[in-house]
Amino acid sequence: MFDLAFNSLDEILQMNGHGIYVWSVYVVGITAILVSFIIAKKRLREAQEKIRVANASS
Amino acid sequence: MITAFIHKFSSPKSFVVLTAKLYPYFICIGLCLISLGWIWGLLFAPEDAVQGNSYRIIFLHVPSVIYAELIYFFMAVCALMHLVWRVKLAAYLIKSAAPIGAMITFIGLFSGSIWGIPTWGTWWQWDARITSTLILFIMYLGILTLHGSFSNLEKADRLMSILVVIGVINIPIIKKSVDWWSTLHQPASISVSSGSSIDPSMLYPLLISVIGLGFVLISLGILSSRSYIYTREKNKKWVSEYV
Repeated sequence: MFDLAFNSLDEILQMNGHGIYVWSVYVVGITAILVSFIIAKKRLREAQEKIRVANASS
Repeated sequence: MITAFIHKFSSPKSFVVLTAKLYPYFICIGLCLISLGWIWGLLFAPEDAVQGNSYRIIFLHVPSVIYAELIYFFMAVCALMHLVWRVKLAAYLIKSAAPIGAMITFIGLFSGSIWGIPTWGTWWQWDARITSTLILFIMYLGILTLHGSFSNLEKADRLMSILVVIGVINIPIIKKSVDWWSTLHQPASISVSSGSSIDPSMLYPLLISVIGLGFVLISLGILSSRSYIYTREKNKKWVSEYV
């Protein structure tokens, strides 16, 4: 169960001709999730900053 | 009694305080599990006898479509809570969960389309499962568009909740589409009642990926909902004291 299914890095990338499909899916999926996290963190920081500014001015 | 219980545990302040504490644990557990599941599935699980290595898309595709449906179901429960008990937090959670649902449904559709090229010979087919999932994606976008088109946010929350409740009819259709109609999409390989037809060497990394992605998405939901709660409750005293 824990034997590597491939013999080389090239085999991992190629996956017998299916590498382009498999890796493109993971690249797009991970990118979409990462971008969502970056946007969410940015919005949270902005919301907190606005409240701090409002607090300071009042 | 139910109303009192719901109102006690559904205040935005309680939610923000609790989730801020849980976030670091959830994101760590999520990242560890999803890394384990994907490394196991992509590098160590054996090649499939029929589909070859293209089946390795399953470790992203299946968790994505599971959460595409689960997030909508969660939104429907929140919508009912908002409509019946006027729980503000429930509306905030719907608004925060909808973009995550759209994103994960997009990943499910994209991964399924790419998987279809080597296995079916086509990236798209208007079959029941794929079409109903596309409708789910459009529903998510519609919910966000509807909410964004009103300046009165309370009215927007109410109409959004009604739309979410109406749209929940699509969830059993997605789930049962492969049983009700003869579709290109294969029937479910994992079932609560009849077990799994997947070999354990592939099933375990799949289950770990499902749990891992769940924690990652909950973490993302915590971030999104906290910023949205701050935006909506910015004039409340607790917000200025807490931030």
